[in-house]
Amino acid sequence: MLTVYCWLLCLYPGSYRHEFGEEMTSVFCEARSELPLVMAAKIKFYRREFCGLLLGALCAHFDLLFGHSIPFRRFDMQPQFRFPRSTVFLMLVIFAGVMLTIAKASSIAGDTVGSVWPSLISVLAFMLVTMCTAAAVVWRILHTLRRSGVRRLENVQSWMYSVESNGKQ
Amino acid sequence: METFAISEPVLLVLLSLAERPRHGYAILKDVESMSDGRVLLSTGTLYGALQRLFDHGWIERVEEDNTARDRRTYRLTSRGRRNLQMEIERMRRLTKVAALRMARKEA
Repeated sequence: MLTVYCWLLCLYPGSYRHEFGEEMTSVFCEARSELPLVMAAKIKFYRREFCGLLLGALCAHFDLLFGHSIPFRRFDMQPQFRFPRSTVFLMLVIFAGVMLTIAKASSIAGDTVGSVWPSLISVLAFMLVTMCTAAAVVWRILHTLRRSGVRRLENVQSWMYSVESNGKQ
Repeated sequence: METFAISEPVLLVLLSLAERPRHGYAILKDVESMSDGRVLLSTGTLYGALQRLFDHGWIERVEEDNTARDRRTYRLTSRGRRNLQMEIERMRRLTKVAALRMARKEA
């Protein structure tokens, strides 16, 4: 099983393996040596370890690709962040506009409204895709700004600290 | 302001290190005992969490000359301790509200 463990460890990025590989193998061996003799416990242990390794390797590659960790399980967002109220208002206005347009079209076209639905569905699908893309782009920009802002603030704080300590000396 | 929303396994890892510095296997056993055997971490999960906490500057390695590379010890940094305290405070407020709500419902 140690061979399988080492083989799965190869799925991690090289830098991660170099940093934690030996430690992880050592902890695995230690935990394995204390396993009870019951077969069910052994199966559970190996299942947990191997699933954990696969998931860990996936997360490590994600970190390497995107430069930041997958957020912890709960939603990783600034506690002071609030969804703008104006957005809710705008969405309601748009929704009311769409409903009014549909009502107007149905009153004009009468029974022929049924033929409008296929094109309406495709338009709605297009709008949904566009909105999702725009939201992803905005989220990425905000995230980048936040990261760079925090880094700049840290630089300023460390600079101020060094200036203060030099002043005291 | 830093994010402090963390999952239960990460919280338990932080609590384990809050008491004293520990190495990987000691953390694993301590988390198991703290949660009465409910939370069983795999090495993949444990080191994933340790790496993230390490990257965020919440924990650090204890530098000792005689420590083997496969048995390194970790401890909380001041930033990690501060964030842990904030998280505990958040949970305390939550349980207080929960208790009040439950009491109101029962009354």
